[in-house]
Amino acid sequence: MGDGNTTTNRGGSGTSNNSEKPEWLQQYNLIGKIGEGTYGLVFLARIKSPTNRGKSIAIKKFKQSKDGDGVSPTAIREIMLLREITHENVVKLVNVHINHADMSLYLAFDYAEYDLYEIIRHHRDKVNHTINSYTVKSLLWQLLNGLNYLHSNWIIHRDLKPSNILVMGDGEEQGVVKIADFGLARIYQAPLKFLSENGVVVTIWYRAPELLLGAKHYTSAVDMWAVGCIFAELLTLKPLFQGAEAKSTQNPFQLDQLDKIFKILGHPTLEKWPTLASLPHWQSDSQHIQGHKYETNGLHSVVHLSPKSPAYDLLSKMLEYDPRKRITAAQALEHEYFRIEPLPGRNALVPSQPGEKVVNYPTRPVDSNTDFEGTTALQPPQPASGNPGPGNMGISNRNVPRPMPGVGMQRMQPQGMMAYNFPPQAGAAGGMNPSNIPMQRGMAAQAHQQQQLRRKDPGMGMPGYPPQQKSRRL
Amino acid sequence: MAANFWTSSHYKQLMDQEDVDVVQPLDRDKGITLEDFKFIKMQMASYISKLAQHVKVRQRVVATAVTYMRRFFVRKSMTEYDPHLVAPTCLYLASKAEESTVQARLLVFYIKKIYSDEKYRYEVKDILEMEMKILEALNYYLVVFHPYRSLVQFLQDAGMNDINMTHLSWGLVNDTYKMDLILVHPPHLIALACIYIASVYRDKDTTAWFEELRVDMNVVKNISMEILDFYENQRMVTEERINAAFSKLALKP
Repeated sequence: MGDGNTTTNRGGSGTSNNSEKPEWLQQYNLIGKIGEGTYGLVFLARIKSPTNRGKSIAIKKFKQSKDGDGVSPTAIREIMLLREITHENVVKLVNVHINHADMSLYLAFDYAEYDLYEIIRHHRDKVNHTINSYTVKSLLWQLLNGLNYLHSNWIIHRDLKPSNILVMGDGEEQGVVKIADFGLARIYQAPLKFLSENGVVVTIWYRAPELLLGAKHYTSAVDMWAVGCIFAELLTLKPLFQGAEAKSTQNPFQLDQLDKIFKILGHPTLEKWPTLASLPHWQSDSQHIQGHKYETNGLHSVVHLSPKSPAYDLLSKMLEYDPRKRITAAQALEHEYFRIEPLPGRNALVPSQPGEKVVNYPTRPVDSNTDFEGTTALQPPQPASGNPGPGNMGISNRNVPRPMPGVGMQRMQPQGMMAYNFPPQAGAAGGMNPSNIPMQRGMAAQAHQQQQLRRKDPGMGMPGYPPQQKSRRL
Repeated sequence: MAANFWTSSHYKQLMDQEDVDVVQPLDRDKGITLEDFKFIKMQMASYISKLAQHVKVRQRVVATAVTYMRRFFVRKSMTEYDPHLVAPTCLYLASKAEESTVQARLLVFYIKKIYSDEKYRYEVKDILEMEMKILEALNYYLVVFHPYRSLVQFLQDAGMNDINMTHLSWGLVNDTYKMDLILVHPPHLIALACIYIASVYRDKDTTAWFEELRVDMNVVKNISMEILDFYENQRMVTEERINAAFSKLALKP
C-alpha cells in the first residue's frame, strides 16, 4: 500500500456491536472526561499495552452532526492537517478511531497536562506572582517555533489563544509547548475566506485588526498578532485587548475590540498602514472608528516593559498594525530577545535559576463519572445548588468562548472552584520543595504521581464533588 | 507537511503500477479481469464528474474524489463495496476536504436523477455510513496534490500559456483521472507529460525548455505514452464492453 505509517487504525471495522466495548477502545483505560465543546467530548485515557503502559492519551470524540451531514468538516480539517504534519511543538495525533455503530469519530492525541490559559490563570489567581522570565521566553520561543513550521507549510492556525497552547506535563517532554486545536486551521494555497462565511465564531480578543476592520482574507500575519496578544498576557497575566463582543448579526463589526486596541496602541494611520483605507469598516464606519483619537502608544506601560528592552521591541513588532510589516514567526525566532539571558529552553517549566521556586500548576480536573458514550455511568453525586445541568457544560466551547468579560470566569462556578482547587493544594504537600533545591525530573515525577493518585479518585475527601464542575476543551 | 509534496502523505503513498493493478480476490472470483477493473473505475470517475457538474463543485474536488475512489479500490473489493455508492461518497468526502461541502441529500437527489435503476439508488444514510468506511480505508490521509497547479506554472514558465495550449493540456490532465496515474506518479510529472503531448500535437518545439527542467525526461515520456495508449484503447471500447464488466460484478456468488 506504500504506506509505512505505523499509526494505522486497529479495530473499528469489526465493531458493529453496539453493546460491547469496541475493540480499539479496549486498548485504553478510560480515566474520565476532561472537556466538552460544540464538537463533542474530550477524555483522558491511559494505554494498557505493555510497550506504552500508563501513557496518557487525550481522546477527542466528535459527535455525528445533527443535520445529517456526516463527519463534521471541523473533524475532517483537523484529521487532514494533523495526518500531514509532525513537529515537536505541534500536538501529535496518535490514532484515529471510528465507531461505526454510533457513527462517532475519535481522535487520540498525546496528552498534555497544562495549557497557557490555566498556567496564566494559576499565576493570576493563586501564585500572585508573574511567570518567571525564563518560562515566558521558553513558552514563546516554542510557540513561535511550532508556528514557523506551520506557516512554512502554508498552514494558518486562525484560532490561537492561550487555551489552545498546551504544555506537556511530567515525562520525557516535560514543559514542551504543543499547538493544538486545528479545527479551524487551513492550508492557504488558495486565498482563505473569512471564517464567519462558514458560520464559525472565534474569540475576538486575539483577532488581528485587519480582520476586525473587515479584511476578507486571512494571511499568516493574523496568527502573529495572536502570538503578540498571548506574549503580553504571559507578561501581565491579563488579556491585553479585552473587548466586549458584539453578537447582533452573523459577522458583526467589533467596534469595542478595535477601541481596546486603539486605546493601547494609538490610532492606526494611513502613513504607517497604507492599505488601511481599503478595508471595508475603516471606510464605512469612519465616524465611529476615527471618532476618538488615541494618539499615544502606551503599550510599554501596560506590559511594564522598558521601551528599550528587547522584549518590548519584539512585542511591538508582533503588534504592528500593518500585516505586511508585522514580524513573521521566522523573523521573531531570530530576534535579539531570544539571544539574551535567560536563554529559552526545551523544558519551559523548570526554574531558570537554582533556588527559584518550582510552580506546581494544577493538573486537569477529570470527571471520572462520564464514559465514552458521554453518559454518566454512575449515579452522579448530587451537586450543590445551582447545578448548571448538562446543557450548560460546554462553557468553553467555540461558540461561547471567552471574549466577553466574565464569560471566562463562568468556567469556575463557585461550587466547582472548591473542588477544582483541591487537587493542586493537596498535591502541593508532595510537590513542595522546602529547601529550594532545583528539582530533578525524577523527584518532580514522584510529586506528580501523588497528585495523580488523588486525581484518580476525585471524590476522595470531597463529598458532593460535582461530576462536571469544569469543562474545558483540548 | 501540507504544502510540500515531497514530505506529504501523497508522496509517501505513491505506489507501483503492479500494486495498483491488483484485482481483489473476491472480485476475481466473479470473473472480474484487470481490464474490467479498469473500466469500472473509469466509469465511476465519469460518474463522479457528472455528479459534480450537478452539484457545482470545482474540478479540483472531482480530482480529489476520483483519487480517493482509486485509492479505496486498491484496498477494498468492489464486491463488498458497491462502486456506485463509493463513488458519490468519495465526492461527498472530497467536497469537505476541499472546503466546498456538498449536502448529502443534494447528492442523493442527483443520484436518483442520473440513475433510474433502483439498484444504484442510495439514501443519505448509506452515504454517511460509507463516508466513515472510506475515511478508514484511506487511513485518514486526505490531502491530495493535483497536476493543475504545476500545469499552470509550467505553461507560464514555458511561455505557452495561450488559450489554445492551456485548454488542450488542461483537458489532457482531466483525462488522466480516467487512469490510475495519480496513484503512481508525482502530479507535476503528470502535468509535464500532458504539456509534452500537447506541444507535440500543436507542433511546438519544447525540447530546450524540457532540457532545462531538472526532471527525468524518460519518466515524462513514459507517462505520455501511457496516456496516448489509453486514448488509443479508448476508441475500441464499446458500451457493451463496459456493461459486461458491471454485469460480472452484479453476479451473485
